[in-house]
Amino acid sequence: MTEPAITTRAFFEKARGGQLTAIRCGACGELAMPPKELCPGCHARQWQPVALAGDGTIASFTVIRVAPRAHAGDVPYAVAVVRLKEGVSILGRIVDIPFDKLAIGLPVRFRPLIAKDLTTSVGFGPA
Amino acid sequence: MRRVAVIGVGVTKFGLHDRSSAELFAEAARDALTDGGVSAGEVQALYYGNVVGGETEHQLHTGPQAASVLGIPSVPTTRFETACASSHAAFRHGVMEIAAGVSDIVLVGGAERVLNVSTAESTEYFAYASDAIWEQPLGLTFPGVFALIARAHMQKYGTTEAQMAAVAVKNHRHGTLNPKAQFQKAITIEQVLKSAYVADPLKLYDCCPFSDGGAAVVLASEEVARKHRKPVWVLGSAAASDWMLLGDKRDLARVPATERAAAAAYRQAGIGPSDVDVVELHDCFTIAEIVATEGLGLFEPGAGGRAAEQGLTSLGGEIPVNPSGGLKAKGHPIGATGAAQVAEIVTQLRGEAGPRQVEGARRGLTHTLGGNTATVLVSLFGRD
Repeated sequence: MTEPAITTRAFFEKARGGQLTAIRCGACGELAMPPKELCPGCHARQWQPVALAGDGTIASFTVIRVAPRAHAGDVPYAVAVVRLKEGVSILGRIVDIPFDKLAIGLPVRFRPLIAKDLTTSVGFGPA
Repeated sequence: MRRVAVIGVGVTKFGLHDRSSAELFAEAARDALTDGGVSAGEVQALYYGNVVGGETEHQLHTGPQAASVLGIPSVPTTRFETACASSHAAFRHGVMEIAAGVSDIVLVGGAERVLNVSTAESTEYFAYASDAIWEQPLGLTFPGVFALIARAHMQKYGTTEAQMAAVAVKNHRHGTLNPKAQFQKAITIEQVLKSAYVADPLKLYDCCPFSDGGAAVVLASEEVARKHRKPVWVLGSAAASDWMLLGDKRDLARVPATERAAAAAYRQAGIGPSDVDVVELHDCFTIAEIVATEGLGLFEPGAGGRAAEQGLTSLGGEIPVNPSGGLKAKGHPIGATGAAQVAEIVTQLRGEAGPRQVEGARRGLTHTLGGNTATVLVSLFGRD
């Protein structure tokens, strides 16, 4: 097999439709996300795509008030590392949750954030 | 492997400058060569740290550019980029080149210029050291990265905003003793706690400044160094890496690359944390100093906040950390920082640090962290 189990492009195409996708190593069972060439656990290359439920909890969060130029119009905005229930974690933008309700351990649910140019990024909203 | 020594150091004042990064490096390098008693013609290689020159100065190929501005255009030179740890990576490369017997005298260092652009621009350029596909589109900033680390550390260990503030107060106090520091003004816990949030829970005074500046170090083989008045020996120098993405880091309250680099450097030197008398470490944010003191083994995981609050890391304390004022007060021209830390430790081990001297310091440590904690270098130093 020379084709990757899932490319970054395919990840975001599925994400746009509301589906988070991880990869599981066919040799050692390690779950990973985003796509990687080799398994960081055993260095095998036997990935299979795995659809994730999109449910997780906040592992850490912050409210950014001084932004890079491209996001200056968004401040303040919250980002969080979210631990998904399947065991992998990913950074996302938090939407529709008041800042004063944010807490480590708070349940959240994946939500695609689709820009005007249709580029998609990872977001999380209320569970 | 051959022994390697630092025989010359030079640092510009950190802060706002009206000169290019290459000119800032050249000033520091000239001082380092004079300090080392080495003529420019004796330099066999230059390894140079510079990070955002392409963005702020529209300048790539900064290695030969720096060499040309210094006036040594024909030496082999390479630019190193490991985000904020760039000149520490350049330093380690120079150490290995001399240890391997390839060269006898190597100049290393770095420089950065960012105060010629706006804060929104520099915040964007620094964020380029996080992942362009998975993290930058979310608006992640470097204060944001360390805010996520801070929140995890507070949750896991009970670290408080007041403990983080104690790091800023201590480093500003040290900065008042350093005429090259960007900030030479003492601050209070209340000032830190009342400053505006940049990325909760980090406030303005938890963050190091944007800075311009340059730093340089002359490395020499033992045979050359023996002729110098006060050689400072490199006892160990190690690098470690970790996942780029925050989501891939298993425990945000720790920095595994610091722990791995420290373990390797201690092993090379044949010493442990309790043998170190003075430390210059990467306090880009106050929480970064707390986590680094733990990762370097100076305190148990989770004890770094209390140690800072109790004054254990102050000048006169159990293990003085960042007598120079650290990145927080001395400033953080990112390409120069690693070499500037070496310059401070060498000055300390020579006993020439004046009012900020750690009395009787024999062994020192430098720790430099790149960006999102994916690069860390640790080096150990000793005097005869």
